[in-house]
Amino acid sequence: MTNNPVAELTQHLNARHLHPTAAWLQSFVSTTRPNTPLPALKQTALFRLLSTDITTSLVPPPNTVFPIDVLNAKVASRTVTGPIVCQVLDIDDIGLSRWSQVEAIEAKERGESTKGREIVRVVENENEGAAVAPAIQSKGPFKLLLQDAKGVKVYGLDLGGMAGINTNMSMGVKILLRNVEVRRAVVMLESASVQVLGGKLDALDKAWREGRKERLAKAAGDAAR
Amino acid sequence: MVNRILCVAEKPSIAKAVANHLGGQARAENVRGIQWVKNYKFDYGFQAWGQASVTFTSVAGHIQNLDFHTRYRKWTACQPAELFEAPTQIYLANMYQDKKAIASNIEQQARYASILFIWTDCDREGEHIGSEVREIALKANPNMQVWRARFSNIERAHIIQAAGAPIRLDDAQVNAVSARIELDLRLGAAFTRMQTLALQGMLPQQDAKKVISYGSCQFPTLGFVVDRYLRVRNFVPEQFWYIKVAHEKDGINVKFTWKRGHLFDRMAVVIIFERCLLSKLAKVTKTTKKPTKKWRPLPLTTVELQKMGSRFLNMTSQEVMTTAEALYTKGWISYPRTETDQFDRGMDLRKLIERQQQDGRWGQFAQGLMNGSFNQPRNGSNNDKAHPPIHPVNYVAPTALNDSERKVYEFVVRRFLACCSEDAVGEATDVEIEYGGESFATHGLTVIARNYLDVYPYDKWESSQSLPRFSVGETFEPKEVNMDDGETSAPGYLTEPELIALMDANGIGTDATMAEHIAKIKEREYVIARPKGGAGSRAATAERGGARGRGRGRGRGGRGGAAAQNGGGAAGGMQEFIPTTLGIALIEGYNNVGFETSLSKPFLRKEMEVQMKDICEGRSTRNDVVQSNLEKYRSVFVRTTQQINVLKAAVRKYVVQPNQG
Repeated sequence: MTNNPVAELTQHLNARHLHPTAAWLQSFVSTTRPNTPLPALKQTALFRLLSTDITTSLVPPPNTVFPIDVLNAKVASRTVTGPIVCQVLDIDDIGLSRWSQVEAIEAKERGESTKGREIVRVVENENEGAAVAPAIQSKGPFKLLLQDAKGVKVYGLDLGGMAGINTNMSMGVKILLRNVEVRRAVVMLESASVQVLGGKLDALDKAWREGRKERLAKAAGDAAR
Repeated sequence: MVNRILCVAEKPSIAKAVANHLGGQARAENVRGIQWVKNYKFDYGFQAWGQASVTFTSVAGHIQNLDFHTRYRKWTACQPAELFEAPTQIYLANMYQDKKAIASNIEQQARYASILFIWTDCDREGEHIGSEVREIALKANPNMQVWRARFSNIERAHIIQAAGAPIRLDDAQVNAVSARIELDLRLGAAFTRMQTLALQGMLPQQDAKKVISYGSCQFPTLGFVVDRYLRVRNFVPEQFWYIKVAHEKDGINVKFTWKRGHLFDRMAVVIIFERCLLSKLAKVTKTTKKPTKKWRPLPLTTVELQKMGSRFLNMTSQEVMTTAEALYTKGWISYPRTETDQFDRGMDLRKLIERQQQDGRWGQFAQGLMNGSFNQPRNGSNNDKAHPPIHPVNYVAPTALNDSERKVYEFVVRRFLACCSEDAVGEATDVEIEYGGESFATHGLTVIARNYLDVYPYDKWESSQSLPRFSVGETFEPKEVNMDDGETSAPGYLTEPELIALMDANGIGTDATMAEHIAKIKEREYVIARPKGGAGSRAATAERGGARGRGRGRGRGGRGGAAAQNGGGAAGGMQEFIPTTLGIALIEGYNNVGFETSLSKPFLRKEMEVQMKDICEGRSTRNDVVQSNLEKYRSVFVRTTQQINVLKAAVRKYVVQPNQG
């Protein structure tokens, strides 16, 4: 048991470029049992912090948020060193038409999937999981809506594809950006410059999933010429 | 003592053809009460039974008919649900006086014969028809030996070989068909009566007496048509954007296409496009030049014949099958109902090719095969162990055939010759460039040897413009870079070849029955067929008629010409299907009652089809299959009757209200 858990935790989280507010730290420590071993405490703190809305739980030093003029689309290209912590608010698969995604969601709702021309029933079995392997994951590319700790929202493009970024990812997941290129106010996401930290925002994630089909259908309608 | 042998074929035309092969000019005697069935009399020396006096006659499809006891036949006589277990009985198919005459002819002839030699078609239905003949004959003469001929075409040598090697009737196949017949009867009657009684009153005046029939294959077939129709109707077109790169080298203009195809976000494409423009130089990352082939087709199966027929011959699947059947009966092609796409190694294919040498259109190609370019056909993965792939048996001059026969025969021959030829050979060139972090590619093809393509115009494979030489690492400034846009378009309505492919993949019907199920849903006015791309919906002329013969194709063999052609078959020929309002209402209604076991989905029927195979291969019994299927369908039946308002609501939505508005 350490004498100053707050200091220990601050150091642990800062090393991961996360700078929680004093209030958050205090309230976190107050909810933990006094004799929790430090390593467990550190882990729990990280886990809990990743599940918060960073616009309220972090006090970011200036270098860990986007530059003030990041949304200036006149800038053709610049590099932002960071490291910037942001949370993912939305993701679009821009390699597939929205309508084809609506159709895929509807087929899933019916419990159907196709194997070539064959229509197969996908029965969720509690013991064995899905009886049929899920459809192949789309390779995108993906367009993400990112938000930094100051609440600034910026689009990001994942053109090359990377592990953990797809339409099944949790909304509110935290990612860390280092030396990213920003073109015309859009962050170019590359696997070398993006680290997925994890976490999610439960309420956002739930609402995002439930409303996805409707949003896609509406967007498809809007995209029609 | 000379043996007396009674031979029975499935249809008169086969009896005649086989009798003439075995007996030379066999003497034809009339059969009392039915003028188009003959008894052919001749003597023949069988390997197994020695010199014998033969009577060769035929039936005309199924002779027996399974039906409920009389007291259940009236629609008002019982609750439809009782039909799941109501007692049934086998009747002589007595809706036709003909069947009685046929049966009594067999009885009559059986009395004098010591051996019954069955020559029905060698497939499941044929096996069952054979068992019906056996039952009738044994009743008249219990001491008869019963044998069966195994044959797959009506060519002389093949028939003589079959006559010399009799086998036994396969009771497993008989039982499978018998299970199918009972299930079709019970399920068809129960659901048809239930839904007709519930919904008929809602139909417009002119349809007030319409029977809303149900069939366990028809409904999933209809389901495919409705699914596609709704996809087309609900479709929302969307704009997309893409980047094109063009470059001129050695006086040749080369177009590179974007590896990503297109994207659905304008902003993203603009950013990528700008990055390309700024990067100025494109760099060649990969060039390959390698030999390539276009594979010759696989040996021909029934499903493939039907698909190709509606795609290239301007015929419906049913017409193709009727025509193929006629060609088979006349001895020009092999049995047209087969799943096999591999030729037996022992088959003398050269002999078949040799006969085609005299033709003016493909004779020369056949000669080429005979003179050394012959190749053993590729093997597909299916073998029904009963019939070889469809192939020409004998040569027939085009003048001896009618229009549709000529087309189907030509296709079968060309396909066969193509199978025995060599793959087409070419050289493919691929060049890939990196430009602004993006990949673009171009592809070139030079056809070096057309080989099988020379005889098979249904496949297209042509040289493209030749490409200039590029080397890896080479850089250039593209002559032109453009950002362009386009729009997604709705899929087309379901075409006949697509429908057949779906039925095949989902186990709806067998290759032998698919065409009939498609014809059925047209006849029931659940769908209309029209030439693809045709404007205005020309309603299909319903083909009504008592073709309740074999439960497949024409019950009466060679009689009755080709089916009436629907929709006139405009140029281009392929048919597409659109459901009627009643068709949509039924499918949506059943889907709303419950997706898991909806009758519009292929799952239940597919399982039944698998179980038929299980009976044939001894893994299951007739009784188990019938009972387990009745259980499954009964639960759907119960759920449907409980939620009959859901079905009614769908009919109201699509049929009643549109008519009032």
